[in-house]
Amino acid sequence: MSMRSQVYEWANLSTSGNYMLRRGLDAIAVTVPIDRELSVFTGQYGNNITKPAETTATQFVVIEDLAASAYFGGAVQVVINTTSYFQNPDVTQQAGVPGTASPYPRGSSDTSQVANADNGVQLLNAFELTPDVYVLPGQVWDMRYSQTVTNAIGSTALNTLSTSAVAAFVKYTLYDGPDALIANKLLELGVTVNPNNVDWYKRTLIEQQSASASAAAVAAANGGGQ
Amino acid sequence: MRSQVYEWDASRTNVSGSAMTRTQFGSALSIFVGGFGNNITKPAETTATQFCVIEDVAVTPSAFTGYGSTVAYRGLNAGTNGSTGIAGPRAYVQIRINTTDYFLDPDNVGNDGVPGTASPYPRSVNFQPVFNLYPDVYVLPGQTWDVRVTAYQQNNVASTLTTGQLQCFVKYTLYDGPDALIANKLLEMGISVNPGNVDWYKRTLIQSQGM
Repeated sequence: MSMRSQVYEWANLSTSGNYMLRRGLDAIAVTVPIDRELSVFTGQYGNNITKPAETTATQFVVIEDLAASAYFGGAVQVVINTTSYFQNPDVTQQAGVPGTASPYPRGSSDTSQVANADNGVQLLNAFELTPDVYVLPGQVWDMRYSQTVTNAIGSTALNTLSTSAVAAFVKYTLYDGPDALIANKLLELGVTVNPNNVDWYKRTLIEQQSASASAAAVAAANGGGQ
Repeated sequence: MRSQVYEWDASRTNVSGSAMTRTQFGSALSIFVGGFGNNITKPAETTATQFCVIEDVAVTPSAFTGYGSTVAYRGLNAGTNGSTGIAGPRAYVQIRINTTDYFLDPDNVGNDGVPGTASPYPRSVNFQPVFNLYPDVYVLPGQTWDVRVTAYQQNNVASTLTTGQLQCFVKYTLYDGPDALIANKLLEMGISVNPGNVDWYKRTLIQSQGM
């Protein structure tokens, strides 16, 4: 299993405090700060993991899809080491892919209301992550969720304040061991890193070895390399 | 070479004798031999002459919603005790081969698996997939495999689950006998195991024999 499809889902749901490791029973939505990029792995809101996402010397990650809640101005950014992937045309910082362009879940509404009011909208994705994003061996990567509108709806004065859930999702393929070496080789060759091309490279290696073995056998039959 | 499916519903009692209740929320439950919902008589395993390719997994979706409602949202229960900002069971599906979980968090710890929100079952206009299982998962001859469901929002379901509240679906292809041998050969050659490539290998063998 050296080439595996992987997923990570983040939501602002926690059983106590603003964040928790992994997930828990009957977690509730917490208020997320606005206009601030939050790491979905270690941002201390919602479900987190123990350490930042990074590739070892024998791993290669290809990020293939990302999505976020399509309301409250939700957006998701990919960060490799210290560099944000999505930039404005003037090379300034931006929030990344809007949830309205890549909604999670697909088919969701573009609004979230108290009492689950549903406006009937069913959003589809206007964005596909092509080409994929490569995380090379030894790099640290992150997914950062941000929103421009508060998810705490209502009024504290009227005691009607309630908090909506928001989420982000990433799908990636993890290449490990020999497959990570092949992924690096494909990158050097300028070939897209995907499972098909990794398999193609393996086949090519096998064919080359078979051809060499056949040539050696023919040479041996003819009295040795004359 | 046969396309196969398995559907699990937490409310059924076939073989297991018990429908799932809120008590089982928070732990991973095998859809084959977990003891709740419809089960089979023994764990899923391949014999020495079988090769299994898991092509899709899906589980009941959930929706992220506003807090404070007990009404259903797009067909999903939003909380018998008051919604917590999520409608539906907040379910995930993991594949396990022998004792190894397939889906990991980026810190290399086995996670709950694919969210139903990313790979919903059933699929609808409201809930469409954002995930496809590619590359496929191979179960080699002699291995035991399992599909495990974990759900977290017990407040969103009845004390004993009713039909459709938590379902899981798996689609796989079973290669048996000579086709399993070919599947192994394709794996050695670094070629994806699928019905088209198995047929291609057979044609190549036939052509090489001059038939």
